[in-house]
Amino acid sequence: MLKNIWAILQEYSSTFVSGIGVTLALALIGTIFGLFLSLILTIIRVQVPRPNDSKIIKILKRIASGFAKFYVTVFRGTPMIVQAVIFFYSFYQMGIKWSPFAAGLFTVSLNTAAYLTEVLRGGITSIDKGQVEAARSIGMTHFQTFIYIVFPQAIKNSFASIGNEFIVNIKDTAVLSTIMVVDIFSVANKAAGKYYLYVEAMIIAALIYLAITFITSKVLILIEKKLKVETKEIVSSN
Amino acid sequence: MMKNIIEINNAYKAYLNNKVLQGINLNIKAGEVVALIGESGSGKSTLLRCINGLENLDSGTIKFNDTDIKTINENQLRTNIGMVFQQFNLFNNMNVLKNCTIGLIKVKKLSRDKAVEIAKEKLTLVGMENFINSSVDSLSGGQKQRVAIARSLCLNPDVLLFDEPTSALDPKNVNEVLNVIANLAKANMTLIIVTHEMKFAREVANRIVYMDEGIICEQGTPAEIFDTPQNPKTKAFLKYS
Repeated sequence: MLKNIWAILQEYSSTFVSGIGVTLALALIGTIFGLFLSLILTIIRVQVPRPNDSKIIKILKRIASGFAKFYVTVFRGTPMIVQAVIFFYSFYQMGIKWSPFAAGLFTVSLNTAAYLTEVLRGGITSIDKGQVEAARSIGMTHFQTFIYIVFPQAIKNSFASIGNEFIVNIKDTAVLSTIMVVDIFSVANKAAGKYYLYVEAMIIAALIYLAITFITSKVLILIEKKLKVETKEIVSSN
Repeated sequence: MMKNIIEINNAYKAYLNNKVLQGINLNIKAGEVVALIGESGSGKSTLLRCINGLENLDSGTIKFNDTDIKTINENQLRTNIGMVFQQFNLFNNMNVLKNCTIGLIKVKKLSRDKAVEIAKEKLTLVGMENFINSSVDSLSGGQKQRVAIARSLCLNPDVLLFDEPTSALDPKNVNEVLNVIANLAKANMTLIIVTHEMKFAREVANRIVYMDEGIICEQGTPAEIFDTPQNPKTKAFLKYS
């Protein structure tokens, strides 16, 4: 088996390297785009009509919040492989000839946005009510309270989940081989088909995925620690 | 004679069927230190929150400097009437200095330099000048509460409300906070303090207001309330306090 693995690696090493690049690009850019989209969706999602709002504003808030809920339900409730196929071919049918990579990135971004919207919403609702009251008590508006007090804390609290979503994306982009994206899985599949060495090819893919996710999780832990290391130890005045 | 800075007339407030305030009438003069005492659930904290505009009255009025607070922009009102909470509520994503400057920069629109200058001055006033770059997580309860007081003072409010400022502190930290409040009282700041520290209330307040079940049962000077209470409920409360 090792001999076969070595043979595949010798022939496909450069293709695997480019596959790694595609997988990482899809996961990283998709997570970043998804995060930005989820910021907007989260702000929309947490809108609650207040007694002082005008009737129009109350209706708009309900519609916006309802839309965000619907979006999350649809994207979380359907497999990414199905979404990818629908997006890729429906755009083709409309005459928009986009690359499999673009379609894949589009799918990963929208899918990630749905998951991160719920992550961020959880981060926001976990912020102590006292933080909001304190901000309001010093005269901050609802918007200022959200932007300067609630949101930074929610992002920080959600960092681990956002990182987790990135790791999930590294693995889940494998489904995009269905729309001809040439990622790690796709390269492994190609090699396996050529020599009929499915186990060997997939072991290589598994080891590559494992190495990437292992390194990524270590880097994320370091960043997480860095974020928390703002605290300076000081001597109590007591 | 000092004019009333706060006038509360016939204030009612209920949460569903729970009647929390049932016709409160209370005037507070500029420079006065008023201690609100009473059992938990008597409406003291709700009254403070209504004065600060965090809660709205169901009926009745609260006037600040002769103006109904309903007609004042709520954010403007809160810069004039500061509030210090039982649980400190310092902003966890900011260090001590930023906790104090955020209101000055974002609400009062001061320059960063001016805000830092004011914040340092107020932090010095509460004895926290050596902690300006500290994270709030690293502070003791008493230190947190002193920063919370400095944060409110930064906005230079006319009235400062304290909602059980020492209830969440261990005995060791209580005095450091009470000393700061006592110093503010000596500086003739208008203070309304909800407290269970009877000794402190007696020493610092000009007036004691005893509340029970959403009404003011009795009010008077500390000597009148603590030495010769008239209302049986006040007597019973003080007996166990």
